Amino acid sequence: MVRGVPPTARILTAFLITATAIFMLVPLAVVMLSSISASEFLVFPPRGFSLRWYGEIMASDAYLKAGWTSIKLALVVTVLAIGIGTPTAIALYRFRLPGGEALGALFLSPLVLPTLIFGIGLLVLFSSWGSGPSFTGLVIGHLVISLPYVIRTVGAVLADADPALEEAARTMGANVWQRYRYVVLPQCAAGMAAGGFFAFNISFDDAVVALFMRAPDVETLPLRIYSQLEFSPDPSVAAVSTIMILLTIFLVFLIDRLFGLKRIA
Amino acid sequence: MLTRRNFTAALAAGAALIATPVLAQDTLIINSFGGSYEKTHRDLVITPFEKEYGVTVKVVTAYSADTLAQLRAQKENPQFDVVHFSGGLETVAASEGLLAPIKPEELSNYGQMYPFAVADIGKGVGPMYKVAAIGLLYNTEQVSPAPTSWMDLTNPAYAKNVLLTDAAANTYGMLGMLMMNKVSGGTLDDVQPGLDFVGKLLDGGATVVSKSPEIQQNFAQGSAWIAPYAQDYAFTLTKAGLPVKFVQPKEGAAFAPITVNLVAGRDNRDLALKFIDFSIRAEASKGWAEALRYSPTNKEAKLPDDVASQVVYGEEAAKNLVGFDPIKIGDERAKWNEAWKRLVAR
Amino acid sequence: MTGSRQISAAIRSRREPLLLLGPGVAVLALAFFLPVFQMLVLSVQVTGTDGQISFGWEHFAKFFVDDYYLGVSIRTFRLAGLITLICFLIGFPLAYVMSRVGPRLRMLLILLVVLPLMTSVVIRTFGWLVILGNGGLLSDLLEVIGLTDRATKLMHTESGIVIAMVQVLVPFMTLTILGVLQRIGSELEQAARTMGAGFWQAIIGITLPLSLPGIVSGCLIVFALSISSFITPTLVGGVRLPVLAGSIYSSVTGSFDWNFAAAQSVLLLLATLVVIVPYAMLMRRRDTKAVR
Repeated sequence: MVRGVPPTARILTAFLITATAIFMLVPLAVVMLSSISASEFLVFPPRGFSLRWYGEIMASDAYLKAGWTSIKLALVVTVLAIGIGTPTAIALYRFRLPGGEALGALFLSPLVLPTLIFGIGLLVLFSSWGSGPSFTGLVIGHLVISLPYVIRTVGAVLADADPALEEAARTMGANVWQRYRYVVLPQCAAGMAAGGFFAFNISFDDAVVALFMRAPDVETLPLRIYSQLEFSPDPSVAAVSTIMILLTIFLVFLIDRLFGLKRIA
Repeated sequence: MLTRRNFTAALAAGAALIATPVLAQDTLIINSFGGSYEKTHRDLVITPFEKEYGVTVKVVTAYSADTLAQLRAQKENPQFDVVHFSGGLETVAASEGLLAPIKPEELSNYGQMYPFAVADIGKGVGPMYKVAAIGLLYNTEQVSPAPTSWMDLTNPAYAKNVLLTDAAANTYGMLGMLMMNKVSGGTLDDVQPGLDFVGKLLDGGATVVSKSPEIQQNFAQGSAWIAPYAQDYAFTLTKAGLPVKFVQPKEGAAFAPITVNLVAGRDNRDLALKFIDFSIRAEASKGWAEALRYSPTNKEAKLPDDVASQVVYGEEAAKNLVGFDPIKIGDERAKWNEAWKRLVAR
Repeated sequence: MTGSRQISAAIRSRREPLLLLGPGVAVLALAFFLPVFQMLVLSVQVTGTDGQISFGWEHFAKFFVDDYYLGVSIRTFRLAGLITLICFLIGFPLAYVMSRVGPRLRMLLILLVVLPLMTSVVIRTFGWLVILGNGGLLSDLLEVIGLTDRATKLMHTESGIVIAMVQVLVPFMTLTILGVLQRIGSELEQAARTMGAGFWQAIIGITLPLSLPGIVSGCLIVFALSISSFITPTLVGGVRLPVLAGSIYSSVTGSFDWNFAAAQSVLLLLATLVVIVPYAMLMRRRDTKAVR
């Protein structure tokens, strides 16, 4: 009979969990609390309670425009990432390709190679082609950094799905279109959706690529927050950030429902 | 030979021929500096301009350094019509051919301007629509008597409460450094005395920040008592309820030109010129002084007494301002930045 | 009839993966590897006074002969090492707890780690700016506890950078180790304890060595991400504590020296590859094991 967990370990565990929870969440909590401050300046703890800064955002062209740009951008990136990432994942996980493993690693490399370097490279590339940074440039940049997520999530559901089903459809005479429409894509669906939410979140939150690919007409919300932090932070930055945090919570919730957060590990 | 770039340029030019008549004539793309500055900018210039001419002005929030970076990156195909710079970078941009020269007769308000404010428009440096004076900001509760000289920064009683601004990233910071250099016997050819001066302040415990919001934080939290910085920012701090005043030291205060410039290579020059002319009206100059305490560059701007006392107002007072040769600054700045970076890095 | 269909299926299946891969490969090659390659080229491109472009190591030489960049690099790697160590000290126990508690609590803990991970780095850093600023939350707290005297500030200090960066990177460490811990299960640890090993003995003697691949991968990824971060170190550390990635950023947007920025980027890239290649190999081994 194994002795139980010693009391010191239990106490340490409780302490660890509490301390980590505080440590991980306090920066977000501080931002959210600052957003309801009634004072003119960014202070913590907040003085008084007021939702005026949320009204202020709604009346601010700059925030609304940046928000709209971010949403448009994230939607385009999501659609493209699903559209390109899904077939890539199917090819990587359903076919035994020579060098498939190396190719898979290459596809995931934007996750680990510094985004900073990629961002500058993209800026240089777009500038030397004469068009300069643009919305298209931003879409391409975000597509690259979000593709790995779609490939991973679709790959993960494919690895769990039964490949025999596809084989069966094939032997029963299903043509390519039918095979994908009725077998493969339904198998991928949860992964595609989860990957799509990841892609949306990556694009919506990115500041690094956006910092280099910013153009006169293209300012995303994180960039708007960044410049506001650099030049004149007031509680409206906190209010915008809070809205972004809430959106992230919602996306995390959706991903968990569709895909299972456990599988991120 | 038709290289790729030529080809792209030809395509773009072709597309521009077809597409621009509709777009260009009623839309201007400009930059502004964000926050309450941008709000004032809209109230004083942008929105009235849109109303008067029935056009749309697109505003991109970008500070001077970022704007210059974008102009450079878009050299082949500029995206701005008019750019605003605060201090120094317009000379760099003009010397690189990113900005277009303006003739005096193209600006109806030319005659109302102080000569120094329109001196270089023929070289591509746009008119100064106002200037900011760089002197000493001090906490009136901690620093007594009020400072009168740049040398008061070295007072050991304030050693740990001196706040400096990054000269490599911030033009006001650079002008402050140049003033410290001037009073220590340096010149634009040799800024070592100024760097040594700053080095001593750092050894004594001075703090260096890179962004203006940090100046406000440091004064608000009581860790900053005295700082070389701009007059208009002193007003921002006063409005925030802080006991902060600006003083023009006896050795003089530097001025930072704040310019409105015409971008080269855009095809709606006429509308852009109208915007620039509109920006330097006496009403606009007066408005900037009233709203944010910038010093006017239009002689016809008539200020109420309380505002006049807080800015550099009138031809006599303007003589007390120290101007540094922008061409020289443009040439030397990269070198100074490198030296400054090394000085402040721990 | 059946025979011909199988043949056509075989032909199709050879073309099929290529069609499927086409768009992805195109994006990867043109939009990722081309820009990175462009940086490599730029780093060895030298523009002469006459505007002639030649190739040379000048930009690298500029980096290596200068004490300033040496100092910047040392700070970058020293901080990254410290951040990695602290992330491990927090991440391993956390991952261990996550792998042993019930599903409900585990879910809550995963959420705790994933939520900040998914939040924009700009926002998290903003939070830290409010907390670390002088007169901020943390310095007040430390003062109340009596750990520090008045006016201690964490803003513009290396400690401040480390605190903020650890929060940003701890999720990567925790999730990587958790992945391995879930695979190895608790059976061996249980067995050791049945045979009389103490609780701590079993963890240190059995679980820790078994999860070494996860720990190493976690450390490598945290280290790699840490040396290439610039938003958090720049905003929290300020001008007096430059790091390599921040120096690259300022070469691009401050001094506009793209060639020098490219040279620094190549060095950063090399440093990253040195840690990422072993990481990729470890992860591959883990993945292939998982499939079997």
